[in-house]
Amino acid sequence: MIALYVVAAIAVFAAVRAILERNTGRRFPHANVLNFAVAGSLVLLLDHPITLVAAAAYFVGSTLEANAIASTYAGGVKR
Amino acid sequence: MLGELLHILAAAIISWILFVAVDIFFKLPETGGVVGATAIARDIEAGGGDLAGGTMMGNIVCSPDASAGTLLAACGVYVAGIPGGLAAATLVFIGNRICHDPGYAGTTGAILATFVIYGFTLVGFAASDFIAGMVIAILTIQGLSHTHASRLLGRLWRVRE
Repeated sequence: MIALYVVAAIAVFAAVRAILERNTGRRFPHANVLNFAVAGSLVLLLDHPITLVAAAAYFVGSTLEANAIASTYAGGVKR
Repeated sequence: MLGELLHILAAAIISWILFVAVDIFFKLPETGGVVGATAIARDIEAGGGDLAGGTMMGNIVCSPDASAGTLLAACGVYVAGIPGGLAAATLVFIGNRICHDPGYAGTTGAILATFVIYGFTLVGFAASDFIAGMVIAILTIQGLSHTHASRLLGRLWRVRE
């Protein structure tokens, strides 16, 4: 039970840090911590084998989004 | 209650060592896998951090690496034991391919973490300790001070070189 509270507290902390950070590039690592915490709390809240697939899908999806946004921020693919 | 907190802290240290060692072994600080990772590294360096450490942090953001592997393996062991951890490794492998990552840091990390975490469940730890522990471990790298975290990772990377 304490594990869930620790993970939830870190999620809130990371969300606040991501909002307060002024530099776009340095925002991504804070959002990354938030994704870890949300994926972890999903599994801690719903103890079922299918939750693993949901958490992995959420995590991979949010990582792909961060990847896409960061690459757009970097200027995208030069043609 | 205090016992569980101590277990979580110990799990955080074990997860930290595991994922940093695997990521550095797979040369994540060397180059950015995608341009986004390089951009994050550049911004971290501009804020006073280390470029190699920043590159590793950018790569962690842009593709599931050993830290994501460790987290999902802990989740897998929590819901279904060793088969759950290995299923998580498969999902991380698919995630790497989706995120345009040619490496195997995430998959290797997930497989290693499955057995490490299962081993610790035999000596009194719960898999949930490792879920919270891995979230604390990633917080220390990505969420506290990017300057200090990137310098520490850069120093470890130069030791490996």
